[in-house]
Amino acid sequence: MNEQDDAFEKMAKDAFDASVDKLDAATLSRLNRGRHEALQELERPRRRWSRWMPATGVAAAVLVAVVTLQSPMTVDDEVGATSLADMEILLGEDSIEMLEDLEFYSWIDIAEMESDVG
Amino acid sequence: MDVNTAVFAVSCTSTPITGTRALQKKRQLNQFLAEVERRALRIAEIAVRDRDEALDLVQDAMIKLARNYSERNNDEWTPLFYRILQNGVRDWHRRQAVRNRVMVWVGRKPSDDNDYDAVAAAPDPMGRAPDEELSNNEAMQRLEHAVHELPMRQREAFMLRMFEGLDVAGTAVAMGCSQGSVKTHYSRAVHSLRETLEDYRPAEFGSGDGKQ
Repeated sequence: MNEQDDAFEKMAKDAFDASVDKLDAATLSRLNRGRHEALQELERPRRRWSRWMPATGVAAAVLVAVVTLQSPMTVDDEVGATSLADMEILLGEDSIEMLEDLEFYSWIDIAEMESDVG
Repeated sequence: MDVNTAVFAVSCTSTPITGTRALQKKRQLNQFLAEVERRALRIAEIAVRDRDEALDLVQDAMIKLARNYSERNNDEWTPLFYRILQNGVRDWHRRQAVRNRVMVWVGRKPSDDNDYDAVAAAPDPMGRAPDEELSNNEAMQRLEHAVHELPMRQREAFMLRMFEGLDVAGTAVAMGCSQGSVKTHYSRAVHSLRETLEDYRPAEFGSGDGKQ
């Protein structure tokens, strides 16, 4: 880095900070609401799904297999690459988190408890 | 409840922290998020070029931090928060790409990224617009556009280092890469931006005396 880079960085930082300072009231209000909603997470009991990760992985793999087999777009390299990108999304962390909400896992949960008790 | 059931129950759920410690943790997290949220919003907004989407991404990152990492040391929160946010931004771009492909497949024109109206998305100037403020807004819009056009990793490195002020180590954690990669991406970003913005308002962004 040289003096010119330093000068550029300072100007860029100043411009960014100015844009942050000028955020409008409605946006700040939404941020405030979002923050308080996030803080409510601290008061909720949390489920630890690491125990179910193998099942989640299997479920995701089945889902991908079904989508892949049913997709008509599996004929050339370009479309193959597209399917791979879609798989990446389906297997992404957020997708797995989405699956956490499915009743399926509640069912597994109950079944496991019953087998432990029994 | 027998022993097995008790063990299962412990392994499956964790009760929320309670009492004074819970209040303290909540206060600390609230303070942290309040400090970081506005910069995070602007960083996300530059990355996705949509304020509503950026607000959603920031809120998701806040929720995930609170849910998964509130017990971590406070000094770990900043890189963790930005790692979650960057993952959210990357995931958003991937979903946009898939959505656009689907829209093409069903015969609809995908949204054109060039439709972005930087003026409409600019912060509210609160009804007052002195020349200096207009000039700053224009400079920021140019910078925003140039930053958005950077390759993803360069953009991340630049925004985390420059706008959020993370050090190299923190940026590496947030980006999930080595410190060496951060330095490389950041250096390339700065030089690329200077080159891009050199023709515009040299006194603001360029060297004013030609390229190196």
